[in-house]
Amino acid sequence: MKIIETRKLSKTYRRVVRGEGLRGSIRSLVKRQYESREAVKNLDLTVEEGEFIGLIGPNGAGKTTLAKMLTGIIAPTGGEISVMGYYPNDLENEFKRQYAIVMGQKSQLFFELTTNDTLGLFREIYGLSEREFRETKAYFTELFGVEKLLDVQVRTLSLGERMKMELMAALLHNPRILFLDEPTIGLDAVASRQIRKFLWEINRKKGTTILLTSHYMEDIRALCDRSIVINHGTKIYDGSTEALFEKYQKERQISVSFRQPVGEIVLPEGAAVREESPYKKVIRIRKEQSGELLQRLMEYHPSDLTVEEDEIGRVAERIYAEGVLGQE
Amino acid sequence: MRKYREVMRVYLKAQLAWRADVAFSMLFTVSKVLFAWLLWGMVFRERDTVADFTFHGMLSYYIVSSFLHQLEMSRGISGEISARIRNGTLSNYLVLPVNMEGYFAAMEAGVVLFYLFFDLSAAVVWVFVFRIQLTFTHSAGLFICAMVMALMGLFFMVQLNYFLGILTLKYEEISTFLMIKDNLAALVTGSLVPLALFPEALVAGMRLLPFYYVTYLPSMLFTGRCGDEAVRGLVILGAWCVLLQGVIRVTWRKYRIKYDGVGT
Repeated sequence: MKIIETRKLSKTYRRVVRGEGLRGSIRSLVKRQYESREAVKNLDLTVEEGEFIGLIGPNGAGKTTLAKMLTGIIAPTGGEISVMGYYPNDLENEFKRQYAIVMGQKSQLFFELTTNDTLGLFREIYGLSEREFRETKAYFTELFGVEKLLDVQVRTLSLGERMKMELMAALLHNPRILFLDEPTIGLDAVASRQIRKFLWEINRKKGTTILLTSHYMEDIRALCDRSIVINHGTKIYDGSTEALFEKYQKERQISVSFRQPVGEIVLPEGAAVREESPYKKVIRIRKEQSGELLQRLMEYHPSDLTVEEDEIGRVAERIYAEGVLGQE
Repeated sequence: MRKYREVMRVYLKAQLAWRADVAFSMLFTVSKVLFAWLLWGMVFRERDTVADFTFHGMLSYYIVSSFLHQLEMSRGISGEISARIRNGTLSNYLVLPVNMEGYFAAMEAGVVLFYLFFDLSAAVVWVFVFRIQLTFTHSAGLFICAMVMALMGLFFMVQLNYFLGILTLKYEEISTFLMIKDNLAALVTGSLVPLALFPEALVAGMRLLPFYYVTYLPSMLFTGRCGDEAVRGLVILGAWCVLLQGVIRVTWRKYRIKYDGVGT
C-alpha cells in the first residue's frame, strides 16, 4: 500500500540579497532584491507502507526540505503531494496523529522537567487511553532500557539518553510513519549503534514506515533497504542500498601479517602500499583486482590477513561527486 | 480540552522546577507594596484624598492593579513565536495535533496560575505586615464582573501577542510592533498612573480600546469603583476578542505558507 506519493514536487525558497557595506544596506532598505533557490526540483517519490528508506545527500541537497514538506511543516511551491491520503500542509490534526518526526537538533522534551512529564503531556495531546499509554510506555522503556531515567530532569541526561527519550516520546502514539532527521548526530559509536538497533526493531516488529535523513552512511547502510540520493534538489538515485554501495565501493584495503620478515612484494598494477614493515603490509587495491592480490599474498604464507571494505565516508564523497546514477 | 489542561499543568510544573526562582519571586512582591506605601504615603501626607481616592483606597488600587499587571505575562508569547519562526523551531508545534494558539494560551495559563498562587499568598502577607486596609467592593455582581473581565483581559493579551508573533511570517522583524504595543498598553491600562488622573475626554477615547479593560477597569471594579462601566466593559472587551480572533485566523491562513522552517 502506497503511504507517500509525490509527483513533480518542488520547493523554491526566496531570500533577500543585500549588497556589501553600508551602501548595500541602504539600497536594500529602499529596494529589496530577492533571489530564488530551488531546494527541491520536480521530485517523484513513492513509498510503500513498512519500508525503511534512507535519504542521502550533502548539506543543502534538499533532503530536509523534502522531509518538511512531507510532514506539512512547509508548503510546496509546485507539484503534487499525498501522505496517507492527506495534503500535509493543511496541517489537519487527524493527519498529525498518524506520523511522528524526530529532529536531532530540535527537542520536543521539556528540559527542566522529566521525561515522564513530557510523556504524560503527549498522552493527552494524542488522546491515548490509559491502557494504550501504559503498554506502549512499558514496551519502549524495556526496549531502550531507560526505566531509571524517566523521573530524571531531561537537562541532566546525556545526548544518547536524550535521543532515546525523544524517540520514545515520538513513538508513544504508534505512528504509521516516522520521519527521522539526523537522529544520531553528535552521538558516540555505542549510542548510535543502540539507536540503530531500536529503529530496526520498530520497523520490523511494528511495521512503522521510516524515512531516515542522515549524513552518516553507517546509519543508512545498517538500516535502510532502499536509499534515495538527492543532490541540488534532484533525485539522483532511488533503489537498493546494497546496490548503491556495491557500485561505489570501488576499493578494498588488505592488511597482511607475516611470521618471517618479507621484503618487497610484486603487486598488481594500480595497487598502493599504505603501510609497510618486514612483518606487516597494508595495501589498497581496486575491488576487482583484490582476488589477484590475495593469490599473490598467499605465496608468502601470511600469519594473518584481513580484507576491509572501502571507508563509508569515501563512498559518500564518490556518490555526490559522480552525480546521476539512475535507478536500480 | 484535556490536552490543553495538561499543557497548563506541565508549564505550571516547569515554573516550580527552580526553587530559588520561586523564593525570590515571592520575596520581591514586597518591593511593590513597599514602593506604593512610601510613594502614596508622601502624596497623602498633606491631603486626605487624591482624585477621590483615600490613602488606603489608592493603595488598594495600586496593589490590585500592579498584581493584575504582573499576571499579564503574555509578552513572552510574541517574543517566543517570533524567535521560533526565525530559527525554525516553530516546527515543534506545527507537528503536534493541537491548536497552536490554544497551546500558547494554556501555556500562559500555567505560568499565570503559578504567580496567582505564590505571589498572591506573598502579597497577602505583606499587606498584613504593612497594615494596609484593602478596600474591596461589597457587590458580588461587581466582583464577578471584575473577575470575568480580568480573565478576558488576560486572554485578549494572549491573542494580541500571538497575533504580533505570527506577524513575523510577513515582516520577519516585529520589535517595533512590540514596542508600540508595550507603550500603548502601559499607558492605557493605567498600570503606571490611575486613569482617573487623565482628562475625561482622553479616558473616553481609551474606553473604546481593549487595554482599558485589561488592568485598569478590573482593578477599579475590585476596589468598588466605576460599577456603571462593568457591563459595557465586558461587551467591548468581548467584541475585541472576537474581532482579534478573526484577524488571527485570516493572518495565519494567509502567511502560514511563508514559514520555511530554516535553522536546522
